[in-house]
Amino acid sequence: MSFLVGAALAIGVLVALPLVAHFLRRGRAKEQPFAPAALVKAVQTSARRERRLEDRALFSLRALAIIALALLGATPLVRCSRLSLSRGGAGSLAAALVLDDSLSMRATPGGASRFERARDAAARLLDSMREGDSVALVLAGAPARVALPATTDLGAARRALRDLQPSDRSTDLDGAVSLARSSFGDARADRRRLVVLSDFAAPALAPADPPAWTPLPELAQRLPDCGIASAELHGTSVAVVVACNVAEAAKERALVLVGDASGKKTPLDPRAGVQTLSLAAATGTKVESVRLTGTDALAADDVAAVAPDALAVGVAVLADETAGGAVTGGPPLVEQVIAALDRELRLRPLAVLPDQPSELEHDALLVLDDPTGLGPEARSALTTFAERGGTAVALLGPRAETARIGVSLEPFAAGAVRWEREPKASGAEPGSLGWLGAEASSLADLGAHGRTWLDPGREPGTRVTAKWSDGAPFVVERDLGRGLIVTITLPSSIAVSDLALRPGFVALVDHYIEAARQRRGLTESVAGSAWVFGTERPRIVGPGGPLAVEQSLDRGRVATPALAGTYRVTLGSHEEVRTVTLDPQEITADPRPPPKASADAAGGPGLELTDVSREAALFLILLMGLELALRTRRVDARARFR
Amino acid sequence: MTDKVGSSLDWGALAPLRLRARGAAEGIWAGPHRSLRRGAGVEFAGYRAYLPGDDLRFLDRHALMRHGTRMVREFETDTDRSVRFLVDSSASMAFAGSRAPGAKLAFAAVVAAAIGWVTLRGGDRVALDWLADEVDPLPWASGAAAFERLVAALERGEPRGSIDDAGLARLTARLSRSTPSGAITLVLSDFLDLPESTVEALATLSSRTRLVVGLEVLDPDELDLPYQGPVRLRAMETDLVVDTDAPRARAEYQAALAEHSARLRAGFVRRGGRFLRAVTTEEPAHVVRRVLELVSGGAG
Repeated sequence: MSFLVGAALAIGVLVALPLVAHFLRRGRAKEQPFAPAALVKAVQTSARRERRLEDRALFSLRALAIIALALLGATPLVRCSRLSLSRGGAGSLAAALVLDDSLSMRATPGGASRFERARDAAARLLDSMREGDSVALVLAGAPARVALPATTDLGAARRALRDLQPSDRSTDLDGAVSLARSSFGDARADRRRLVVLSDFAAPALAPADPPAWTPLPELAQRLPDCGIASAELHGTSVAVVVACNVAEAAKERALVLVGDASGKKTPLDPRAGVQTLSLAAATGTKVESVRLTGTDALAADDVAAVAPDALAVGVAVLADETAGGAVTGGPPLVEQVIAALDRELRLRPLAVLPDQPSELEHDALLVLDDPTGLGPEARSALTTFAERGGTAVALLGPRAETARIGVSLEPFAAGAVRWEREPKASGAEPGSLGWLGAEASSLADLGAHGRTWLDPGREPGTRVTAKWSDGAPFVVERDLGRGLIVTITLPSSIAVSDLALRPGFVALVDHYIEAARQRRGLTESVAGSAWVFGTERPRIVGPGGPLAVEQSLDRGRVATPALAGTYRVTLGSHEEVRTVTLDPQEITADPRPPPKASADAAGGPGLELTDVSREAALFLILLMGLELALRTRRVDARARFR
Repeated sequence: MTDKVGSSLDWGALAPLRLRARGAAEGIWAGPHRSLRRGAGVEFAGYRAYLPGDDLRFLDRHALMRHGTRMVREFETDTDRSVRFLVDSSASMAFAGSRAPGAKLAFAAVVAAAIGWVTLRGGDRVALDWLADEVDPLPWASGAAAFERLVAALERGEPRGSIDDAGLARLTARLSRSTPSGAITLVLSDFLDLPESTVEALATLSSRTRLVVGLEVLDPDELDLPYQGPVRLRAMETDLVVDTDAPRARAEYQAALAEHSARLRAGFVRRGGRFLRAVTTEEPAHVVRRVLELVSGGAG
């Protein structure tokens, strides 16, 4: 304690003054002239006690005022242990607050949830910041995102913090910390503060600079939880995926179909991890949700909506077994590749291209291998399919050149298509296929004996996403409504090229399956996954009310449901129901307590010099107001004596 | 005017006395006081049967000749209704509570001056004496100048001192000698801290032809003891000090005050006098009317 602090606090000794004054004025009642005093009877009053109490209140106020004054004089030199950022010298700070808004943060260890505690801590940290400090808010619910870019407007930061809500997302702590570190800009290294408020139910953070400070290590305490990750109707049974982080949480707990008249309980296997249970629903029963009996630390994941049947991505394939087949037999190569990719896919080989849009309404992806052309009805059905979010991929081959009159390859290619034999380039340019990943290199030499020559400039909105090594278009994409039209200039036929035999082809198909899943937003997705609507204007209502749709630069309109449950998506006159599920890993992931060092050091608060003069001054003003009011009351009372 | 005299007296809203007194007296009829006695007046009052001893000058000979009955004519007599003001100038009359427009003495002065104005307008005389101060009494006077002298004398009054039994005896002896038949003595006092025999002594001024009226002047605070909490009360003419709790003592005090007033009333009425109470928050004009009605025979 410095001399100044001691001197300021010594003012507190003056608290004795009101006490002395109190005892000095505690004499007799004020004398009042009164002519008929002889008619008044002397009464030993108990009011003296009341007077004493009143004086005591006044005395307390004055004593407190002096103490507040002493405190005010001693600030900002007073040390207190409230949560605050370590300043470590003069100069502004650049702080990044990483707040975990994932599902696991909704757990309630008792009283407030983890998320509420983290948000309160963030608010206290904001309060400890000074004018000129900058702060960024980053959310660690997957995908990690910036809630507030670095700003010196602390008021805006407080407002942004107040608006934050917990979600059912999985955790992307590593991504959030990376985002936070990138928000410091050109701030000096010693002025950077990275604060992570999370339960750390995620892979351990890689050490980097600045080190992350975790002021609430207690959030990383493991809390028993079982949750329903997803529930899907299959005929008359419901497949329920349940995840438990500890075996204890699964003990004596069971699943119940809400709305099922039988009320049958299906007990959980008392073990930690993910388990899938099949619950049979009574005939004629409309099951809308499934519930987990018993209680645990996280109640939000104990109930889940049951997704309607046929949620798997439907893929329709029109391929010629003769041209696109393998010499070893079996289905065409395209079908074999698709079937090998994802067992959740629902593959539907087509003999002819459907004339009616309704024939494709359950499909998300349509693959045409070396089509000869599309008639008007098929083109109309295909256009409607794409506009509703379908993805159509055409692998154009030599048949494209033999299109009959009245038949065209639109919308895959405008006008007549030319099949180029023995092209100069034998494969794709791997650099243009970077989005495909490491497999892109396998497409560098395809040994192609021919290729479809496209003129992408003839169709507005067309973009070349991959090129041949000689610069000719290899893959061309075009948005159509909410959907996507993809044209690949080689068929799968091994007679033309080795395309279908290369890992790059598998990756290419997988890429468009995922694109189809996103475009169609097909009915079931994990919380935090984006739904892409392109140019359409959807209205979405979910468990949390209307869902905001944002404009993305590259994907058009995008909505990101953060809460699990059922969503109704209205696109014009068309309405569809989508179900958002939980990531089982988010439930089973064990919290990894941060190292002790990160909890204490590296920007930690401990006992910090904190300026509490504002609070002390407000308190002093309040005391003075109260003292004035009390004195006014007493003066009024005295005036009545006259 | 209030400032130059009686500086220790709180005149408050009752100043200036002259204007306040005239304002209070304005509109009050100031006619001659008709006597209940019939006698040698000039205004015919009726006939009655002759009785032996009647003055034969009033025997109506026309009635005797016409009806053969002896009748005498009667006339109303205009009596002297002069007013003497006996104003209490003891220290207790200086009291002015928080709600009063001024001190009790100031209020008494306004009432006295207003009644004096009415009296002088009716052609009667006025006189002024102080109950606790023998200095500067105003002898009987009438006419326009008498009002000015009355007001000047009242303005010089200061609430000081007290009166003892001896002083009271001297005062009543002097007043008995100088009060003419038919005169009214109006005592304006709070009747507090006065000798026990005050009322009895003053009541002796009342006779068949002379009227004594006691006007008890009190401050509103003296009526209800309005103080809150513990209070130390000091009498204004004695050394008496009372420590009390006002809310708890209030009811008992009001009962004692009522009993005190009842004793005063009984003392005056017993000797043919009248008694009434006035509070300093009352309109002086209203008090003047009540006094005049009381003097004219109304209930006291």
